[in-house]
Amino acid sequence: MTELPIAHIGHWWTSLLYLAPVLLVVVWLAVQSWRQRRQDRTDR
Amino acid sequence: MSRRLPVAVAAVVVAALVLPAAASAHGLVGKQDLPIPRWLFAWGAAMVLVLSFVALATLWPRPRMQELRERVVWAGIPRVLEVLCGAVGVAVFGIVVYAGLAGSQSPLENLAPTFVYVVFWVAVPFASLLLGDVFRAFNPWRAVARAVAWAAGRVMPAGALPEPLAYPVRLGRWPAAAGILVFAWVELVSVNRDDPSLLAILALAYAAVQLVGMSLYGIDPWLRNADPFGVFFGLLARVAPLRWRDRSLVVRRPLSGLPSLDPRAGTVALVCVAIGTTTFDGFSMGTLWNDVAPDLQQWFIDVGLSAQDALQLAFTIGLVGCVLAVYGLYRLGIAGMRTVGEGHDARELAGLFAHTLVPIAFAYLVAHYFSLLGYQGQALAYLVSDPLGDGSNLFGTAAATIDYGWISATGVWYVQVGALVVGHVAGLALAHDRALAVYRDPQAATRSQYWMLTVMVGFTSLGLWLLSASAQ
Repeated sequence: MTELPIAHIGHWWTSLLYLAPVLLVVVWLAVQSWRQRRQDRTDR
Repeated sequence: MSRRLPVAVAAVVVAALVLPAAASAHGLVGKQDLPIPRWLFAWGAAMVLVLSFVALATLWPRPRMQELRERVVWAGIPRVLEVLCGAVGVAVFGIVVYAGLAGSQSPLENLAPTFVYVVFWVAVPFASLLLGDVFRAFNPWRAVARAVAWAAGRVMPAGALPEPLAYPVRLGRWPAAAGILVFAWVELVSVNRDDPSLLAILALAYAAVQLVGMSLYGIDPWLRNADPFGVFFGLLARVAPLRWRDRSLVVRRPLSGLPSLDPRAGTVALVCVAIGTTTFDGFSMGTLWNDVAPDLQQWFIDVGLSAQDALQLAFTIGLVGCVLAVYGLYRLGIAGMRTVGEGHDARELAGLFAHTLVPIAFAYLVAHYFSLLGYQGQALAYLVSDPLGDGSNLFGTAAATIDYGWISATGVWYVQVGALVVGHVAGLALAHDRALAVYRDPQAATRSQYWMLTVMVGFTSLGLWLLSASAQ
């Protein structure tokens, strides 16, 4: 029977640590964009 | 909050660097003797990219790389040198093919596999980084085609030869992208990848296709678009500070040859194939793929395929999946750029920013194949003396061995990380410069690059994860 990759999660969960910088950058950029839009609205 | 977040990340990275012993106590240090866990390098690399992005946004307000500035340093290169390089290329091609067909069929004893996978596929791009498009000078099928054209011009009366067909614009660089994908399939998927005679036959078939293509569409149009290795190596050579133009040698700033890359059809595909196939090379050595691949293979066996075909099909899916994932990541960045406005469509932007992927392709190539070149490249010393593996000793170097101690695993890791970081910072700088030229408003240009920054951080983390996974 085919096993799902999740069954091997112990082998690769540390890989998620490599995803963290990408997520942090995305969050940072989302916040920057939101602040920019708010600033633009205030200026208008 | 937006200012605190990068500061917090920087604090974590700096703390780990300053306190390596503490960091390694919780780390994943394997064969390499690293002072910090490998994943922390990904965090550090991301920080370098974010800081580079901020520096570019504040210190680089106008486009600087859109105009190509070159200076001739050697005019009038003798034609005999051109002929000589072509002859060397043809001779080497002949020797490799002969070795593959007539020599020992052991991959380690025969010259052909090491030459194809190490010298041709890895050393030539490395040389292109420094010396420009060296492959063009030694390209054997170009040399043969030019020799035939020259001889035909001498024998046939003027105007007797038919004009070549117009190369189809719609095809663009698609044949090159397809060719590199096929080569990668042979290298990474085929179970006969090291078979010397098969490699020799494939090399002959490749040369035949090139000669037919050049005879139909003309030498230069074919080489510019459809010769997979010629196009790919030429693309990488745009990074170099040297350029061989007609019969002169010109110097330019490194990377400055990339913005003039015309985004004809297939260009994005070619670069994504290059990055995606290298990605799969690393991915296929990692635990995640090695957990999934047997199940996938078993599934294909259950539907009736042989074990070998099932394995190749599973790996083919992985290879194509990696190329599509890289393409998807790039298109995600492009889709994000569209939200900035100014009426640019996704297709246009994808072409305009395609050249920014070239340093990343280079970075992936260096990161994944540096150790192969550094170690297996030394095998050339004994293989040139005994190319057929029959015990001959043509140059007295047949007893040479590979020195695995010239660079440690830790040293290799630092080269790999350095290549990835430098390559992605270069990509970021190229993208920033192009955005300044494309968008009317510098603020809009910077906002558009938020997305490209995410893509670059994604590629860097992916590259380090792949290296880390294959090193375990």
